[in-house]
Amino acid sequence: MEKNFILAGFGGQGVLLAGTILANAFMLAGKCVTWYPCYGAEMRGGTVNCEVVVSDAEVSSVHKQDTDFALVLNQQSFDKFVQRVKSGGTIIANATLVALAKPRDDIKYVFAKMGDIANAIGSSKVTNMVSLGVLSEACNIVSKEYLAKAVEIVLGEKKKQFLSLNLKALEAGCGALV
Amino acid sequence: MDDKKVLIKGNYAIAQASINAGCQCYFGYPITPQTEIGEYLSAEMPKLGRGYVSAESELAAINMVVGAASTGAKVMTSSSSCAVALMQETLSYACSDELPVVLVNVMRAGPGLGYVYPAQGDYNQAVYGGGNGDYKIIVLAPSTVQECIDYTYRAFYLARKYRNPVILLADGLLGQMMEPASFGKNPYPEVDVSSWALSGAKGRDGKAIYSCARDEKAHIQKIKDLFKKFEVITENETSYEEFETDDAEIILTAFGSMTRNIKASIKVLREKGIKAGGFRPITLSPFPAKRIYELASQGKNFAVVEMNMGQMWKDVKFAVEGQSYVSLINRPCGEWLSVEEIVSSVENILRTKEGEYASCI
Repeated sequence: MEKNFILAGFGGQGVLLAGTILANAFMLAGKCVTWYPCYGAEMRGGTVNCEVVVSDAEVSSVHKQDTDFALVLNQQSFDKFVQRVKSGGTIIANATLVALAKPRDDIKYVFAKMGDIANAIGSSKVTNMVSLGVLSEACNIVSKEYLAKAVEIVLGEKKKQFLSLNLKALEAGCGALV
Repeated sequence: MDDKKVLIKGNYAIAQASINAGCQCYFGYPITPQTEIGEYLSAEMPKLGRGYVSAESELAAINMVVGAASTGAKVMTSSSSCAVALMQETLSYACSDELPVVLVNVMRAGPGLGYVYPAQGDYNQAVYGGGNGDYKIIVLAPSTVQECIDYTYRAFYLARKYRNPVILLADGLLGQMMEPASFGKNPYPEVDVSSWALSGAKGRDGKAIYSCARDEKAHIQKIKDLFKKFEVITENETSYEEFETDDAEIILTAFGSMTRNIKASIKVLREKGIKAGGFRPITLSPFPAKRIYELASQGKNFAVVEMNMGQMWKDVKFAVEGQSYVSLINRPCGEWLSVEEIVSSVENILRTKEGEYASCI
């Protein structure tokens, strides 16, 4: 089993961090995983994305043409990556910034107002954590326990004061689809 | 550091592995996609009481490396493609001086300034060099973040064991990606360099390191000795990996991170009933020509898959010596050739039946 994810949004929305946490969660679950960011001109244009590939066996190629899951936090990313979701795949969008439209019939759509949820918790900065919670619920491939542990690892000692807020956001994201 | 797996970027992995290998000084100048190596070492080296210099240029950096290496210090620089081009003169000197220089090249696209996205266009630059004269560098090509660590350890060891520059030839894909990897312990023994290192002549006779001999005869002998040394390196250190070559009709051949994609392609091709195998040189120099010759003598054809205009292709052809066909599947730079592209190219090759086939995608 090999699945890949694209996480995309504005620079500053924390999609690279979200991807790092997702990759760590897969590592904790004993999977083979690779994280790969955009680092060229794309990044300098204001939108950022990273790709996470998870596999039971060694991860072969990265930088794939299409994806099983796309997690998009803004409209530009939705417009760009909706075309790259595999037939039968899923796009998970931040409905706070993305219009509710379904341009293709062959993929699944998950819309959640991630930005609003984050604001209600106390900071729009944790939109990325909310999005991971939504992803966990929607794709059923990574447990929120591993995600929570991964948040702890990635924030580390240095940013420990933000841990509880981030975990709260993750939790809220997990509950967003109920 | 221990056997515990951590999720780490290739660039940081190389930097930490160089520390574990005992690197005493790092000299470098930033360039995408390898800047994190210098960034990491600028923070960590001073903590350990080791040297870090952010040089004013790549030219300065490589010459600082040569200076430090001549004292017997473990030393490294890192850079990328167009900036490694600036270091070529000094690499020729370092080979002639027989200095244990470790250079990391995290390749980006060329020629000229090129671009920051990944490529494999410095195969020739690394293997054949852009410096003057006859010289040979040891070149190691990792394909995973774990190998970035393992081969950094090996690079430091080989450089000192043979008193020869070593290039770790990675690419932007490896430098930027994160994978679970463990550092373990540097498995290589210490090499005694006291016989030649310029460590201060107090209480002993002076020593010198020259990049030239004083007369023609001696100079000819010096070059012969350098090449004799490389024969020993070829005998002892040539390494490669093979995948399902036993019954293979066509052997996909790749180096560095493209190895990943040929492994995946072989699986898909086998599912389609095509007997594909894989071959991957780990040392690009010394090149595993002997093994390629053996495989070709069994009638196996080759398809070289690389992100350049066919640089390793010609080395594989040279090794095969016309015994079988050697096709090329390539793209100059940018998005790595996908498994789908490789598989359909191989199917095209097998369909044409006209021998060699080159398809630049």
